[in-house]
Amino acid sequence: MRIATGAAGVALMGVGVFLLLRGGQARDVALWLAGAVVLHDLLLAPLVLAAGLLLARLPGRGPLRGALVTAGCLTLIALPVLFAPGTPHNPSVLPLDYPRNWLLSLAAVALATAAVALARRLRGTAGVRRLRTAGRGARRGARNPTSRAGRASSSPRRWGRRGR
Amino acid sequence: MRIRPPITLRPPRLTGRLHDARTATAVGRLLGAAIAVCFVTGVISHYLQRPPDWLAGSLPSRPYWGYRLNQGLHVASGIAAVPLLLAKLWTVYPRLFVRPALRSLGHALERLSVGVLVAAALFQLTTGLLNTAQWYPWPFSFVPVHFAVAWLLAGALVLHVAVKYPKIRAHWSRRSPGTLELPATDGPDRRSLLTGVVAAVGAVTLTTVGQSLTPLGRLDLLAPRHPDHGPQHLPVNRTAAAARVSVPALAGWRLTVTGPRPYALTLDELAALPQHTVTLPIACVEGWSKSARWTGVRVQDLVELAGAPPGTALRVVSLERRGAYRVMEMGGGYTDDPLTLLALRLGGEILTLDHGYPARIIAPNRPGVWQTKWVGRIEVL
Repeated sequence: MRIATGAAGVALMGVGVFLLLRGGQARDVALWLAGAVVLHDLLLAPLVLAAGLLLARLPGRGPLRGALVTAGCLTLIALPVLFAPGTPHNPSVLPLDYPRNWLLSLAAVALATAAVALARRLRGTAGVRRLRTAGRGARRGARNPTSRAGRASSSPRRWGRRGR
Repeated sequence: MRIRPPITLRPPRLTGRLHDARTATAVGRLLGAAIAVCFVTGVISHYLQRPPDWLAGSLPSRPYWGYRLNQGLHVASGIAAVPLLLAKLWTVYPRLFVRPALRSLGHALERLSVGVLVAAALFQLTTGLLNTAQWYPWPFSFVPVHFAVAWLLAGALVLHVAVKYPKIRAHWSRRSPGTLELPATDGPDRRSLLTGVVAAVGAVTLTTVGQSLTPLGRLDLLAPRHPDHGPQHLPVNRTAAAARVSVPALAGWRLTVTGPRPYALTLDELAALPQHTVTLPIACVEGWSKSARWTGVRVQDLVELAGAPPGTALRVVSLERRGAYRVMEMGGGYTDDPLTLLALRLGGEILTLDHGYPARIIAPNRPGVWQTKWVGRIEVL
């Protein structure tokens, strides 16, 4: 079964290669294919990994990481509409104020992230109150509502953190 | 004098978490699903747009929203794949520097196929996205190349799934044996990462999908089209200026119909024929679409007037001087559908020049480029 699936994959790839060779533009396409990998592997991926390294040292980095991933992807998919060269003669192509909209979308990401962070903090505090009333503040970690221990004990399904 | 050791290039040592098979499986299956939807809808669109002769006569005109859904899904799944692809590549990035680089012939072939997979995936998403913004920075023609590389990508993906099948199975769920072997402390962090990636998928989808899913038009911030922007509140792909059609050139316009009983009609005579109103979408291959109310003469009636039997295929010729879509052929399935009109009005108003004045075709379940504008001649085939 695996071998048959693999063979089907190779056959489909063969169709692609055949179409490319028949099209007579295979050299240019090969250059662009290789260029895409080089651009990703040598530029984009190292940048993202570097950002991850910086982020790893922060406490409660889950929402922040999600926010950066979201903002980064929004920016990436906005690049064509932000930087398409020339002015379109067709008023229904690229009709929006894209720089403004891009900033709006990033602002929405920032707001949503702040809301998530706030909700986590509130949930953490509420959890600590419950703990206090139940255990009469016997647990050390519960004293400080913002301490990691306090939050960790109150919300098992939180955004994860690493490095501990 | 000290002698410095020669600088040696060493592959980076990546010790971060979550570059593991469970993360790769969890992201990869979402990415695989997005690519599968994108591929299937892309192939359907390709054959609707450029049907081979054996297929052209039997294309169905229903469901009338078929092409709209197809193409909306194609572009939306492609955009949704952007965060997924980047997350997947981030997860497996350390494997780029695996030692030894090549263990065996099989290993070399596997790495080669992964290279093709990565290249084709990045290429397809980039060229597709740029095409929707009508930006063509490459030296090759977009349609045939995007179509060819799609097969390359689909094949490399199927091969990849076959090669990795044992690993995928071992990490399919949280309680799969492979997953349980990974450090349990990574679990919450992995779920947090996946939540972030899914949030990114949601964000890129919500800010673009309004170009075809018009109820979400207000959230359409970053798509190259907006349902409200265009003459008569409907976007246009090819303007009259681009097609070199002008009002003076239309003086004395007549619709010529050839067939067993050929005839010609002025615009007034056409407007005096029984008029019908239908609600049909314009759905562009680039992903945007919008429904509109069209009024005009049924193509059925025009065929009958020419003395041809119902379900006869037609050739429709536009007045535009040049363009890949100047001459359109329409199979019997479309011509016999009562929804297929030679439209004279849009939303109750006379068509603007950009929408194909004096008369245009509007048919169900067809790519926008075949909704021929500025119709000059109809030939019964």
